[in-house]
Amino acid sequence: MNRVAQHVVILDGGTTHDRETIGNKGASVARMLGLGLPVPPAFALPIDECRRYHANGGRLDDEVWQDVLAGLADLEERTARRLGDPDAPLLVSVRSGAAVSMPGMMDTILNLGMTEAVEAGLARLAGDADFARRTHVRFCHEFGHTVHGADLDPPADDAAASDVCAAVLEDTGATVPAEPLEQLRAAIHAVFESWSSRRAVAYRRHWGIPEDGGTAVIVQAMVFGNLGAGSGTGVLFTRDPLSGEPEPYGEWLPGGQGEDVVSGTHDCLPLSALRDGLGDAHAQLLEAGALLERENGDVQDVEFTVEGGRLFLLQTRAAKRSPAAALKTAVDLAREGAIDEATALARVTPEQLSSVLAPRLSDATVAGAEVLARGTPACPGVAGGLVVPDADAAEATRGETVLVRPTTSPEDVAGMIAARAVVTERGGSTSHAAVVSRALGRPSVVGVGEGVTAGWGDRQVTVDGRAGVVYAGRLATEDPDVADVAGLAELLAWVTERSPVTVVDEAAGVLDLDAAGVGLDTDARMDVDDLAGRLRGALAARGAVLATADGARAVLRSGVTTVVRAPGQHAAPLLLRIVQVLNDEEQR
Amino acid sequence: MSDLELLALHGLAVKKAGGAPAVAAVLGAQEDDVVAGLDAAVAAGHAIGAKGTFMVTPAGRSWLDERYPQAFAEFRDDPAATAAYERFERINRELLTLFTDWQMVPAASGRVTNDHADAEYDRGIVDRLGDLHERAEKNLGRFSALDPRLDVYRRRLDEAYDQVLAGEHEYVSGARVDSYHTVWFELHEDLLRMLGREREEAP
Repeated sequence: MNRVAQHVVILDGGTTHDRETIGNKGASVARMLGLGLPVPPAFALPIDECRRYHANGGRLDDEVWQDVLAGLADLEERTARRLGDPDAPLLVSVRSGAAVSMPGMMDTILNLGMTEAVEAGLARLAGDADFARRTHVRFCHEFGHTVHGADLDPPADDAAASDVCAAVLEDTGATVPAEPLEQLRAAIHAVFESWSSRRAVAYRRHWGIPEDGGTAVIVQAMVFGNLGAGSGTGVLFTRDPLSGEPEPYGEWLPGGQGEDVVSGTHDCLPLSALRDGLGDAHAQLLEAGALLERENGDVQDVEFTVEGGRLFLLQTRAAKRSPAAALKTAVDLAREGAIDEATALARVTPEQLSSVLAPRLSDATVAGAEVLARGTPACPGVAGGLVVPDADAAEATRGETVLVRPTTSPEDVAGMIAARAVVTERGGSTSHAAVVSRALGRPSVVGVGEGVTAGWGDRQVTVDGRAGVVYAGRLATEDPDVADVAGLAELLAWVTERSPVTVVDEAAGVLDLDAAGVGLDTDARMDVDDLAGRLRGALAARGAVLATADGARAVLRSGVTTVVRAPGQHAAPLLLRIVQVLNDEEQR
Repeated sequence: MSDLELLALHGLAVKKAGGAPAVAAVLGAQEDDVVAGLDAAVAAGHAIGAKGTFMVTPAGRSWLDERYPQAFAEFRDDPAATAAYERFERINRELLTLFTDWQMVPAASGRVTNDHADAEYDRGIVDRLGDLHERAEKNLGRFSALDPRLDVYRRRLDEAYDQVLAGEHEYVSGARVDSYHTVWFELHEDLLRMLGREREEAP
């Protein structure tokens, strides 16, 4: 880390980097650079400068600004481009980075340095006037929203930058500066100001984070995946996020920029297309992915851009993955020695395990079943019961019910709680029915079509909330074969060895919490000590409540050493929960 | 709107079902006034109540529908109200998408239920909610200028958002508490009734 000037840190991978000085994002960029990975050049105003700014009464003094200009000159030198130069334009991103993330901090501003002249220059360089115009529009929109807090409609497809600037002015009375250095100065101010935003202050108050911290500012050169041949953008997962197989997986969008891939609005190609077109960049990418996975001890999701055949890594983070992949990758990484078993056990949640082990409809069952309706899958899971039209009927019916309605509103919430599954005729994945079903964890299919459910009264149906299908009758569900679930056998062995509690199918002298109604009132907050008191002295216990963290805590506190599986419970999530709670308490 | 019964019944219709304290909270009104209004509504057959919980009867719904055009005539004719409602709808669409993102995490296989194991993902959404909350406050400022009663929603949304900031995840879209989603849905219902519009189910 090289201080060309007193107030600015050039990120060049040279020396160490810590997030207490340059914030989490700056540290992450510095860390990738430190590994020798290709990252667009950047500099940071460290966190001290935020304190200095506020101590100065919200002013960036000249001394600091001169150093920002020096940092900028360094970026210009390293990219051979200049801010505001139409013939070789440098565009930068500006973002905030505190030592810990918190809400209220300023979002990223991309494409800073855009002007009318740069737009024209970029149109010439890219041979694409439309791309240049959209980049400019995007900058004005983002700047207006982020710096001035404008409430703007999404810009029209054919909007000009000047239209967007006019809308910003109308909404806020503030202008988007036409001069690049003014843009930069305003963006830096906005980052520092965001430290004292109402949201950030409220968050710190709630979490006891000291007020005298601050945020760094990261200024980074933009690279363009849409600048001519041999360019594009993509995402690499170092392992398959769906199956967990140790095979790189990813998407590649030739000619795309930044968020085009992530936003899901474009049709992307598989990574093999990058290998076929740009073999060197592909090989370098896989190597970088493997290095980052090793360094971070976890599956990585790497955003990258290729500009004129040259690879740049933009960001890396732990990859999101399916429940099955979470299980397999945690066990695989432990077996490979990348992490220890205890870390692997912390990487899988009991909910993920339950989801992997959840009952499902077999292909044969589905093939022979009568489909009553198809709609939008709104909450995954399979459940069936008698069709009921409202909350009263759901509560009055003994046995399992499915709430079926044209649409739902707040007065149906009681019915949704009482039912096992929910079906609506109208609405999509953001409708009231969908939102509330997910909050309650009820399998749900919405928008099956106007009038489709007429005549379903008094029928039995089965709802598959993952596939979005409603079947006639009650269909048999089946449990996945434990031997087929990758990683399950190992995980089960590890938790069995660590758990002081055993889970069995049946035992004598069982205290049945379900039968006693304990923990079934989901509105009431559970008191762990109360529950432990009830359990104390029992030979064994059973109950849905024991699958929760508080339930596991109570079991451990009570000294009960045998838990009997309740209907629908599998041993593995129960044991994993107990082991995780035990680890938590030991760490405290 | 000065008619006590009309106001109380309107609040009950927004809430769908509930007791006087809940209706008073929706209206930002005195509980005593609401009790009097609900009693009058029950006497007129416009509401039924048991154990302190009330619901609007079909007759009550018709009665409300007849009264609304006159009760909210000024509001309905005001172009500022229509303009503010258009902004509301845009924020509404983004909020509904946010609630989906909060509950369902995009994954390679489509979407999976958010188990809140990924703190970074949740943080991103809380941040987006804060952004929308600021827009919502601005929007409610426009509505409150037209009808000060609506300011109570700004306060309730602010309380829900504050709970979210404090790490109470239920307050994003939980159905059992006065979550952001619950309050927003009631506000939406209130505005629809005031303006005499139908709810369009979200895509």
